[in-house]
Amino acid sequence: MSQGYNGKILHVDLTDGMFRVEEPGEAFYRKHMGGSALAMHYLLKEIPPGADPLGPENVLVLALSVLTGVAISGQSRVTAAAKSPLTGAIGDSQGGGFFPAELKFAGFDAIVIKGKAEKPIYLWINDGHYELRDASHLWGAITGEAEATIKEELGDDKVEVMQIGPAGEKGVRFAGILSMSNRANGRTGMGAVMGSKNLKAVAVRGKNRPSVADKAGLSKLAKWGAANLKDSDIAGLAKYGTNETTGSNQASGTLPSYNYNRGVFDGWEPIDGTTMYDTVLRGAAEGKQDRLGRDTCYACTVRCKRVVEITEGPYKVDPHYGGPEYETTSTFGNYCNIDDLPAICKANEICNKYGIDTISCGATISWAFEAFNQGKLTLEDTDGLDLTWGNAESMVKLTEKIAKREGFGDLLAEGSERAAKKIGRGTEEYLITFKGQEAPAHMPRVKRSLAIIYATNPFGADHQSHEHDPAIEDDFEYYTDRMAVLGFSEGQEPRSLSDEKIRFTVASQRMYSAMDSLNLCQFVYGPAWQLYGPADIVELVQTVTGWEDVSFDELQKVGERRLNMMRAFNAREGFDRKDDVLPQKLFKPLKGGASDGWKLDRDEVMSALDKYYEFCGWEVKTGNPTRAKLEELDLGWVADQLGIDG
Amino acid sequence: MEIHLQLYSILREKLLLDAKGRAVLQLGEGATLADLLNELGIKLKVVISVNGVQESDKSRQLRDGDAVKIFSSVSGG
Repeated sequence: MSQGYNGKILHVDLTDGMFRVEEPGEAFYRKHMGGSALAMHYLLKEIPPGADPLGPENVLVLALSVLTGVAISGQSRVTAAAKSPLTGAIGDSQGGGFFPAELKFAGFDAIVIKGKAEKPIYLWINDGHYELRDASHLWGAITGEAEATIKEELGDDKVEVMQIGPAGEKGVRFAGILSMSNRANGRTGMGAVMGSKNLKAVAVRGKNRPSVADKAGLSKLAKWGAANLKDSDIAGLAKYGTNETTGSNQASGTLPSYNYNRGVFDGWEPIDGTTMYDTVLRGAAEGKQDRLGRDTCYACTVRCKRVVEITEGPYKVDPHYGGPEYETTSTFGNYCNIDDLPAICKANEICNKYGIDTISCGATISWAFEAFNQGKLTLEDTDGLDLTWGNAESMVKLTEKIAKREGFGDLLAEGSERAAKKIGRGTEEYLITFKGQEAPAHMPRVKRSLAIIYATNPFGADHQSHEHDPAIEDDFEYYTDRMAVLGFSEGQEPRSLSDEKIRFTVASQRMYSAMDSLNLCQFVYGPAWQLYGPADIVELVQTVTGWEDVSFDELQKVGERRLNMMRAFNAREGFDRKDDVLPQKLFKPLKGGASDGWKLDRDEVMSALDKYYEFCGWEVKTGNPTRAKLEELDLGWVADQLGIDG
Repeated sequence: MEIHLQLYSILREKLLLDAKGRAVLQLGEGATLADLLNELGIKLKVVISVNGVQESDKSRQLRDGDAVKIFSSVSGG
């Protein structure tokens, strides 16, 4: 057997409590590598078309890859995938921490969860053994308390817990799944799916490290990364977090503010990574934040995670719940015109305590802010909350109301698109949703390839599904060697949607898709500015698995296969090109700063979409995979399932 | 000429700790952004704004009193 993986998939049907261990064999692992692609195999096989996302027929897969748990930075990540209750399309989210490696050590590469338990339970996996345990006493508990109780009753502080909070229990449509109470598989509502199954948590503990084909080779690669980190492009991200990007996004006009109406925000500096580092990270007052205010994932030397502690003032923050990422300071901050960093940290804490995606939550609140400021919502609608731009106190209160599904928060817990449909009054005009999922904090009006990815991505708007435009524009000169591996030799004009830009979009999307199947961190691995480049990823897979003939092209096929399975899943649910649409707002000009006046052009976007489907080998009219493409990817069975003629 | 400089995140460490990333630099007439980066020993990819507007052209000549902000940054996240 090749190495790096356990060769075992745990299946559990919560309806009857039955377990099954599948051993799929080497060819299966080589075809999918793990993570998101592996999950798609089971979701297509086991979810009936038209299934209720919050019904027992939905299937939730937690999946690792052939690389998870080996001793190198950026590999301890897990995919959570199911049909999404937010979008009705495929759901997919990635998260890091120590849970992923620990699940590998416990003896399994993935867990396929179907059915619904009669009462709240949790799954306990301990060195190859597994059981369902009562979780009635944990139902309603916030993440930190449930995590502590589980560790205490299992008698081992080193147990890792992946769980939902009360928001997942109550079916908040953008509820996430948390581990360590601060690492989120946040997007597409996977926490609501888990809650609908009465599954509070998965607890894991194991002592079996994965075997590695070439230990010396892996060690050499790991040491190279650790030695080169301080001179790499991610040195600043490591020390100052993803929030390092706030200032540069402000400078380049791609910092969304006023609910995506502007690309700059006057109050950016009080909420950027440098200010966070100086003021709210644990240990900042004593200058010890590098030791106390940064956290990491298993075996990762980058240590980019934030640990915020605030002990005074109106917003006290418990460091157990981590600290906000760039996306979070953006959606609760600049989206809402809020420059109050402690308030943003508090909103982040609430989301992690209750288990909510900070992107959809903050963006849904910013939609409500705009509707209020346009006079479309009143104090009567908002339970008396004044949603005037910049009102931090109301933002924090509304976050809590969403988490608890109270009053106006109960409506917003459905997501902004459903809320807008219910309220009407023209509030749809203020949406920034794609397939019903709220947009992250990178602007398609500036980084134009994002328009194509946000529109076409099978699980809605996502900023980590391809490499953003600067790598093929102004920054190209820095990455010519890595770009050559992807097949690109020439930079493109800023804000172009040239054919070459679309070809780059497709190629880098496949690479990111492969990384989500290898469960690699996209700050540590990638096609351009990341610590490790494409050639390093190939070497890592070879070194760990012993598959010496793995090539970059083979990994690109893994990524392409995953995307085709996802589009096929959506096609089965009735999705096609008509659903690959952009919010009206993106065709209106931005106001102020470097991006003043910039907007998307409808004809240009439609032409770029044509070209995108063409490069994907999909039918341009429907945007869906063809039988020929599916068969090329060894997915003929998926074409059969869809009933596509040859 | 005088340039009002501000450096963010890891680039702050190019200056003295108590400077908090801020400095007023004296540069020769005709100095460019590339000269400034060279003077500071910045080799990483950076995003630069001059007087609040992003500037990608490193051959741009600076003027007395210009406010230059320099960010180290990744382009995703």
